[in-house]
Amino acid sequence: MKAMNRRKLISVSAVLAVASLAATAVPAQAAEVGVTSSEIKLGMTLPMTGSASLGYNKIPGAAKAYFDYLNANGGVNGRKITLIVKDDRYVPTEAVAKTNELILKDKVMALLAPLGTANVKAVASSVNPAKRGVPVLFVNTGFSGFADAKKYPTHYSILPSYQMEAKIMGKYIAENLAGKKIGLLYQDDDFGSDALAGFKTAGTTFAVKVPYASGSQSAATAAGWITKFKAAEVDVVILFGVTSASLYMLATAAALKYAPQWMIDSVGGDSTTLKLAGVPAGVLYNAIGFSPVPATTDLTDEYIKLFSEIYAKAVPGSAFDLNVLLGMNSAFMTAQALKAAGPNPTRKSLMAVLNTNGASLFNSALSPVGYSGTSHVGLTGEWVGKYSPTGDLLPIGGTYTTYITDSGAGAVVKSTYKRPAMPAKGLPN
Amino acid sequence: MIQFINTTLIGITAGSIYALMAIALVLVWRSTRVINFAQARMALLSTYFGYEAMVRTNSFWIALLVAMLGGGLFAAIIELVFMRFLLKRSASGPIASVAPIIATLGLYGVIRAVTASIWGGQELQIVAPVSNVGYSIGTETLVFSPLKLLILISVGVLVLLLSLLFQKTNIGLALRASAFSPEIASLSGIKVDLVRTLGWSLAGAVGAMAGMFQTVDGTGTFSPDSIGFTLLFVSGFIAAVIGGLESLVGAVIGGLLLGLVISFVLMYISSSLFFIAPFLVLLLVLFIRPQGIIGVKAARRA
Amino acid sequence: MHKLRSIHHFGLFVVFGFILFLASNRVDELRVYQGASVAVFVIAIASLILLTGYSGQVSVGQGALMALGAYGAAVVRNELHVPILLSFFVAVLVAAVGGALLGAAAARLSGPYLAGTTLALAIGIPPLANQFSILGGEQGLAFDVGNPPARLGEDFTQYKWFFWIAALAALISMWLLSNILRSRYGRNWRAGRSNEVAAQLSGINTGRSKILAFTLSAGIAGLAGALLSMTIGTVSPSAFTYNLSLMLLAGAFVSGVSTLSGVMIGAVVLVGIPEIADVVANRIGSSENISTNLPGFLNYALLILTVLFVPNGPVEQHHARQARKAAMKKIKSLPKPSMEGNT
Repeated sequence: MKAMNRRKLISVSAVLAVASLAATAVPAQAAEVGVTSSEIKLGMTLPMTGSASLGYNKIPGAAKAYFDYLNANGGVNGRKITLIVKDDRYVPTEAVAKTNELILKDKVMALLAPLGTANVKAVASSVNPAKRGVPVLFVNTGFSGFADAKKYPTHYSILPSYQMEAKIMGKYIAENLAGKKIGLLYQDDDFGSDALAGFKTAGTTFAVKVPYASGSQSAATAAGWITKFKAAEVDVVILFGVTSASLYMLATAAALKYAPQWMIDSVGGDSTTLKLAGVPAGVLYNAIGFSPVPATTDLTDEYIKLFSEIYAKAVPGSAFDLNVLLGMNSAFMTAQALKAAGPNPTRKSLMAVLNTNGASLFNSALSPVGYSGTSHVGLTGEWVGKYSPTGDLLPIGGTYTTYITDSGAGAVVKSTYKRPAMPAKGLPN
Repeated sequence: MIQFINTTLIGITAGSIYALMAIALVLVWRSTRVINFAQARMALLSTYFGYEAMVRTNSFWIALLVAMLGGGLFAAIIELVFMRFLLKRSASGPIASVAPIIATLGLYGVIRAVTASIWGGQELQIVAPVSNVGYSIGTETLVFSPLKLLILISVGVLVLLLSLLFQKTNIGLALRASAFSPEIASLSGIKVDLVRTLGWSLAGAVGAMAGMFQTVDGTGTFSPDSIGFTLLFVSGFIAAVIGGLESLVGAVIGGLLLGLVISFVLMYISSSLFFIAPFLVLLLVLFIRPQGIIGVKAARRA
Repeated sequence: MHKLRSIHHFGLFVVFGFILFLASNRVDELRVYQGASVAVFVIAIASLILLTGYSGQVSVGQGALMALGAYGAAVVRNELHVPILLSFFVAVLVAAVGGALLGAAAARLSGPYLAGTTLALAIGIPPLANQFSILGGEQGLAFDVGNPPARLGEDFTQYKWFFWIAALAALISMWLLSNILRSRYGRNWRAGRSNEVAAQLSGINTGRSKILAFTLSAGIAGLAGALLSMTIGTVSPSAFTYNLSLMLLAGAFVSGVSTLSGVMIGAVVLVGIPEIADVVANRIGSSENISTNLPGFLNYALLILTVLFVPNGPVEQHHARQARKAAMKKIKSLPKPSMEGNT
């Protein structure tokens, strides 16, 4: 009888469900979650596959390269750092599911460099690292909200926010390109509206603003953007989008013989990535660019030199680009914070280090980090550069002049920060 | 004025690549009544074949040929080994319509995973055979270059060849007959199974061409997760449906129409409508003609 | 007879619910969260079983309908501060209205035309959130169902609360749905699916029947969307990619698209397989290229295997095997045919 079979099936499913759920025992508590006498476990979620993964999927390899180097040199107070990486394909439901696995199943001590505003927000809301006391270090997005220590007590930003960068761009334009007609390409979501807010504070006015729908970047749509910029006869075009947007814009502009003064944001302006993806060096030449960390090709910089060497050994054949640099930089800062957290680090002691002494963490960036008990703002500034004839971003005038500001209404000023010398061999001391 | 011309040119060149994918989908539909969700991924794999050929011979044309042959062969194998087995098992019942979609969906994911495992996630480059710099009219540069002209000509030649194949040759007759009525076709001596494999094979070759052209028309680089290939399937599918799924000419018209509409909407209305515009076009066309622009109304079976 | 049956099933659902309640108390949080996700997928897959399995309309766009429900619930909760139950009702309503419109537009479409339209919908709807600031854009809107009530105790975690809400919603909607599917409406859908002309000839208004299927299916999907947003605390376009729609279709297929009985199987597969694939990938631990892509490969390979070997869904397959066994038994027990009397 059908009803009989149905009843059987439902009861069987019920029993199976209960059995499988109950099969997972709740293990005993360790001294500190994720920390043993020989190992510290960290977790990372980011898009490794899928259309949002381009470039970002190099970050785990970069961070692991630094951690392996560190582990080979004694680790942190005798403990090796293990990084567990999970692919969230840039979907918030998967970010939450994978972060749950990291915290509840893999039992990591802290989360490192999660990527994507919507994903980090979903995790903050659902997994609630704040309630569980799990530190979330060096969030990989330019959204300024994660710096709010009241709202996100265990989150720590690292990248300058989009507002900061837009304000710095606005300052540069006011000082060097006054009177020129400016055009702006921006993504038609929060990424773009944050930029617009920053430009508004800086008082920049645009002859034309061209939004693009995230995900619609292609040669055809880029041709459309260029047509609009040409019609408005702008002298300067600011590209404030993701890498693929700059990519298509610059490649198509070359094809259409369109050559305004380009200004590219740091997110979309990594010269290595752009060149490898087909943008001719000649197109990049003389474009204006920004970055919070030294140029990835500047081997005179001690951090770049060391990191490039470590990466080249760990991942031979892979180019050292901005994502790699930022990944290794965050790993480096994490190692220092863990060391400073004491011989028996706990989640609390780790966060105490950041809250009280965060500003003293060595890192390759040329602006100070602003961590304190009340603010978890990361880097606050960028230097302005121009792309060389070989398409590499180098500081204007040869020396790094960094401008710093905030995400609000504060002014943009030249930074007087002198970056301290790197500790010996790039290991935390 | 120049903006209008450029918008039209943008639409036509984008649309021609959609048309290629639409043709591939129509070929598969006509020969086996299946919508192949993996068509763009198979095009991606074919583009990798082309890349390997490019690396060894430095010639785009040889690479294109290799891509098309490889794509055709791969598609034929899939049809022979996979689709046939599948269709036998799920020929009737409520799953008949869903099973092929699910199967090709599975294929889509498997092909992606395998290509990424073999070639890795980084960008690879394919150099175009002619320049992509736009023609100039006075001081203005058109959004039209030797490369885009080449793409248009290739699509035109392909459609012509395929139409000749279908209309004037015995094989073409066999293809049409098996699509229309498999039982009668096999009764009259046509090897229906072979014809179905041929249909998939042609589709694989056409898809390969779409993948190669799309890559060189863009930035010249591609990777397993290139945005372009993700968009390619959707645009191709929508274009095919607009055109009616039954004829190659319909596929081309659908592709061009979609390309033009999107181009004009983006230029003159709002670029934020990029994702909803295809849906509205589709809805509009299907409202007026539910069988698509050049669709054929399903024959009443008594 | 009918009334007895529905009460009987109601009893079953109550028992099942009690078992789930007991289970959630003894199980670690990760599994509780996954349980909530399973409940959400049960509802979403059920909506597809109704639409595709019963009414025969293939939809590759349930994700968009889920998004409609999710945004409806979030906006109403954030702007008007309504209680949670009401926001779920709004989710169902908003999605149902969307479904009715879609159904009316799609009533004349079938097969690939319908699939194409629903796919275009799946891609076109979520990005619209970027156009209206009230919808929160790419970063998303918060959707907070609030903390569990204090009288459930200090230890009652947020995830347990999600699980209770989602499981209760799933139980209620499955009970309602199974009754609807067994009713005249369900029979009309099946009739329309197998042979539209014959159904019309026997007096069924297939057009209206199809639109009803779409509306109901959309409402259910909308509920699932709101519940999904509850589990991640936010609503954003990236949670409703067309990949989600494809995965739901796959889940419905694995469950056996023509019957509601297997719906949990598909839901458990959708939630469990990615984790299992991760574990396997780590166990094998080979080159980075392979381990990054192995989970995706396993996910989709399972789909292919299911299509090839269990195309009708495990429940139907099981029934078919039972029926064959019973038939064989009957044949064996028949008296041997006599040899005389063959003129």
